[in-house]
Amino acid sequence: MSDVMVDHTQKLEDTAVPNNLEQQDKQDEEQPQQSVQENAEYEDEELHKHLVPDIIQLPLIPPSAVEFNFASYFAPDFMKPGNDQYVYRHANGLCVVGLASTHLAFKDKGGITAVDFNVGKSDRSGMKVTGKRKKNAQHFESNTALCKVCTNGDSYIVRCCVKGSLLEVNERLIKQPELLHSSADREGYIAIIMPKPADWLKVKASLLSLEEFKKLRALC
Amino acid sequence: MSNEVESAQVSDAMEVAQLSSLAAVDSHAGSCEAEMPSRLLNDAVRSLPYHVVKDLLSIGVCSRCVLRILGTEDHIYCHSSFSQSMLCSVLEEVTGFKSECDFQFCSVCLGVLQLSYRDDKETLVKMESPNDMALVIAELVKKEGHQIDGFSLEVSIPQFILENESSLLSGMKKRYESEPWLQERLLSKCVSVKDVLKFAITKPLETLLDTKASASSFRIRLAYTHKMAFGNSVERNQGFKRRKIGTENGLQNVNDESVVANKDCSDYPTNETIAVTGRSSLKVPIDKVSEPCHLVYLCYRTHIYLCGRYLKYSRNVSQTRWIIDEERMGEASVEEIIGSNILPMCRGDNYKFHAAGREDSDVRMLGSGRPFLLEIQNARQVPSEETVKEIESKINGLENKLVGVKNLQVVGSQGWTLMREGEAEKQKQYCALVWISRPLEDEDVCSISLLNDMQILQKTPIRVLHRRSPLERKKIIYWMKIERIAESSQYFLLHLCTQAGTYIKEFVHGDFGRTQPSIGSILGCRAEILQLDVTDVKMDSF
Repeated sequence: MSDVMVDHTQKLEDTAVPNNLEQQDKQDEEQPQQSVQENAEYEDEELHKHLVPDIIQLPLIPPSAVEFNFASYFAPDFMKPGNDQYVYRHANGLCVVGLASTHLAFKDKGGITAVDFNVGKSDRSGMKVTGKRKKNAQHFESNTALCKVCTNGDSYIVRCCVKGSLLEVNERLIKQPELLHSSADREGYIAIIMPKPADWLKVKASLLSLEEFKKLRALC
Repeated sequence: MSNEVESAQVSDAMEVAQLSSLAAVDSHAGSCEAEMPSRLLNDAVRSLPYHVVKDLLSIGVCSRCVLRILGTEDHIYCHSSFSQSMLCSVLEEVTGFKSECDFQFCSVCLGVLQLSYRDDKETLVKMESPNDMALVIAELVKKEGHQIDGFSLEVSIPQFILENESSLLSGMKKRYESEPWLQERLLSKCVSVKDVLKFAITKPLETLLDTKASASSFRIRLAYTHKMAFGNSVERNQGFKRRKIGTENGLQNVNDESVVANKDCSDYPTNETIAVTGRSSLKVPIDKVSEPCHLVYLCYRTHIYLCGRYLKYSRNVSQTRWIIDEERMGEASVEEIIGSNILPMCRGDNYKFHAAGREDSDVRMLGSGRPFLLEIQNARQVPSEETVKEIESKINGLENKLVGVKNLQVVGSQGWTLMREGEAEKQKQYCALVWISRPLEDEDVCSISLLNDMQILQKTPIRVLHRRSPLERKKIIYWMKIERIAESSQYFLLHLCTQAGTYIKEFVHGDFGRTQPSIGSILGCRAEILQLDVTDVKMDSF
């Protein structure tokens, strides 16, 4: 569902979907006396007709919330070969960064064993951002380290990719690093960054769109 | 209806009438009473302590102020048939006082009770009778086109006048300390400037407007201001302190008085008129008041409120006006549709829309509707019950069918409390169209319906994180029910009832796992929301 939606409900007259309430109503038709109860049921019935969608109009697989609300960008080989990261940018300017499915870490036989946010000068999982103005948010460059992803044999540094204020890191990864395997593009996101408009424009030029990225990595 | 016609006729008649015929109309109404006020006035004046009247008149206090400060009975001097000059001559005649200097404006009330002021065009106005002021007000009310069934009269005067009065009163208390009338008149019966003016104008105003003065939402305000009132109050206060010290010393020793008086004169720039009789002197801060107050006549109605519940049938309409860079977002707004249809019927200046919560533009508001309050500023007319019903039908009958209204009615200021009532406990009911990444099983339907009063933890959704604080909010999902959709195994309707402030969209798709649990995590698959409708905002009082 997007933040701006398409109406899938059908017109009142076209209701063809049977439902419990409708069946009940047919039975009630035999009793003509008006009561508060029946009026309420009638109103519910009217309401219900508004709610049921026209299935024919619905897509088999709808676009996901991420697909609809975010623009996807990719940074291939960021700072190091194999370091493929994604940047999902919301219409409000916030960027969700994480590991692209083609990241080298996923090719490691042992799988990802740990995620450590204590890199660089501070532990990224320790910071507390407060208030509408996002006080205490650290300002990072695009090459600042966010965390270290460890596999059996190796470790990889994940970086910001976007210059901006760090609003949040995905602390769940500390206890559940397997989230990176199950859904690196959703529950396994790494961090949320808020870039200034000017900074975004600068970095955007160096990022690839989904199409371009797919071509580059020869994905289907 | 007939009342309006009558008052219109009265107003029209008044417009052409001269002052004399005005007095005639007045006295005609109570012809036997016309004699009474004059006689009562004379009697009242004769009972005053003459020496005090003389003292006051000699320092430039106007006749009405003299009479009110000395607690003259029954506001005789407020009677509309008594003009300035008349009151003055009565006082002078009875007390044998002849004014030497020509005092322009009262040194206490600065001309307010002499019905003198500067209007908004800076013209000097000197009214003879309170009736004339009532006329100006009636004209203003008519010009603004107000429909009223009562009025509340307010007067605001510069603080400076109260300071004048207070200083004069304390001077009088000292000077006439031992006299018998002091206790009886001054201390208990002195009437304030505001009360005198209100009393004088209210009766003629009631006649002209053909309605009674009462606690009404329609306010008539006389706002007096004076140049002297701004700035210099610190200086004036310091001056007062000095004067008090000077007076005390003066009481004890006659010789000292002149010394003290000199001190005062040299330290203090303004002239002081001194009525010297060997006792402590009566003083007022300014003897020759050359400028009267500035008066603005205001009439307005305080906010009136209309309340009701609104429904939103469109997924392209925002609740309030939504404009970015001069471009309107969405097709229309609930606020504008409702406000623009009600404002003209009230002939108001402006409206403000308040609702009990809000929904996204792409979320419909169905079912019982969402309570709202529309505040109308300075309505010229309070709509009748019939008119309100007409407005409701009109909005519900609009061609584009974007918004609907229920239970529309005029409500008092208690509308606010009704809105705020139970806000925290408000429960909302929704219906969401959900898709999951695998077919729906009967177990799913069952397990969802068993979850009652489930607590969830929501981090501030990313879509609002740019303008809201990053917090983790605990919310309660009271109940949920899955309604299968025939012909689809992966789409279904989710009916749910949640605590106010719950982000439903995020509860369905999980928001990158930042809402825990979510429908997806409960069902162990990916879940997406395609549509959302609010089906009930539970609030009893609306």
